Parts: sequence; structure tokens; C-alpha cells
Amino acid sequence: MVHALEEVQRLLKSDGCLIDIQPLIEAPLLKIYQGSSVIFVEPDPSYDYEEDLRQANAALTQVIQRGLFVIEERSEFDFLTHGSSAQELLAFWGKASADDNISEDPAEQRIKEVYARVEEIRQAAGEGAEVALHERARILRLNPNSRNEEPV
Amino acid sequence: MTVSVDPENNETRALLALLDFSARRVLEIGCGDGRLTWRYADSAEHVMAIDPKADAITRARENLPKELKGRVEFHQFTFEDFSATGEPSSFDSIIFSWSF
Repeated sequence: MVHALEEVQRLLKSDGCLIDIQPLIEAPLLKIYQGSSVIFVEPDPSYDYEEDLRQANAALTQVIQRGLFVIEERSEFDFLTHGSSAQELLAFWGKASADDNISEDPAEQRIKEVYARVEEIRQAAGEGAEVALHERARILRLNPNSRNEEPV
Repeated sequence: MTVSVDPENNETRALLALLDFSARRVLEIGCGDGRLTWRYADSAEHVMAIDPKADAITRARENLPKELKGRVEFHQFTFEDFSATGEPSSFDSIIFSWSF
């Protein structure tokens, strides 16, 4: 990741910028909406990239400390993926097969069970109930610090 | 399938608040099926969008609006492969899009 950021700096014009969009280090939430009301919330059991995010953040911190980039702006936003059923969301993200078969992988089986339970709750909530995966993300604008040609 | 990604356009608003894409040459890393690309490409001078997933790039090319042809290119590349041949100082903006 550090090498990738070094390459980004090389490919950027000196007055250019890097936009980095990443989820925050927190599990996304599975939510059921009935109209504008949230009637159910549960952490997404398929969240398995916390370590990847930590490593990406560590790499970014490293290149900033070396003076390759300067953070110019930062903001956060809510990122939602809506589906008319939990199985649709599961299939869309490809975290586990959305069929009813028992999985030999315990982690995948747990994911399927949670999504099946969420779908039961959604159906019990009546017509118009939707499920959504709610992620919180941050966006950075970073400028290359081209004056610093010899990183320390 | 009726899945809708960011129908609230929260990501687009956050992106456009940080950057005016007018007349910019953009590299988007991790473009997927072009979901985010479409939302800023109309104002950019040129967009090179890459992703290692062949099926995603195929979908992006299929969905490329006629008016953006010639200005937006989708290629199946890892960033490592792309940068190995990339010219220095060739982009005004680079977007790392959920590609940690």
C-alpha cells in the first residue's frame, strides 16, 4: 500500500490531488426500514476487512509523515445500499451464496443465518419494508508535497 | 434484482464538494462497474478508470453512455500493472475508490 501511494504521487501532477474514499473502521449495519423509520439494526456479520482497513490507514499515515502528501480536506458520509430483500443484498455483495443450502464454512453459514433472520423480520414488518446495508465512510483530499523529494 | 447503491447520492455530494473535475485528467483506481465514474465523468476532460475484475470492467464498458465515449476509458488492470508503465505527472486527480 505504501508503494501504491508512492506511485500515486509519481503519476500526479505537482498541483494535482489524490481523493481517497474508504469506509471507517467499524462494522456496517444491516437495517430494516419501514418508511423513514428504522425498525431493526444489526452489525453486518460479513464484515471481515477491519485488518485491511487498519493496514491501509497505517500506510497513509506513513506517507503523510514522510511528507509525500498533505491532507487538505476531510469529510464523512453515510453510504447505503438498499435492497428489497436481505438475500438480494447478500447476493449483490457476494459475501456468501444466497441459497438456502447449509454451508460447510461456519463463517459463511453464520452470515446466511443472520441474513435469513433479517429477511424474516423484514417480511414480518409488512409491505414496503426495505433492508439496507449502512456504511460510514470518509473521504480525503490529499495534495502531493512535491517539495519534499527526499522523504525522511 | 432491485438493489440500489447510494440512491441518496451522499458519496457523490461528498466527492463533488472536495473537487471540481472541470478540465481534469482523472485516474480512478478500483472503478468497479463505473458506479462512481458516471457521477463525475461528464465534467472531466478525460477519465482512465481501472479495476482488476474483468466482469466489472465488462459491465462498465457496456453501460458507458454514448456521450462519454472517447472521454472515459475502462481497463482491466491492477494498479501495480498500470503504474509500471504510467508516465510521471500525467494526472490532475487520482481517486482511490474503496480500494484499500
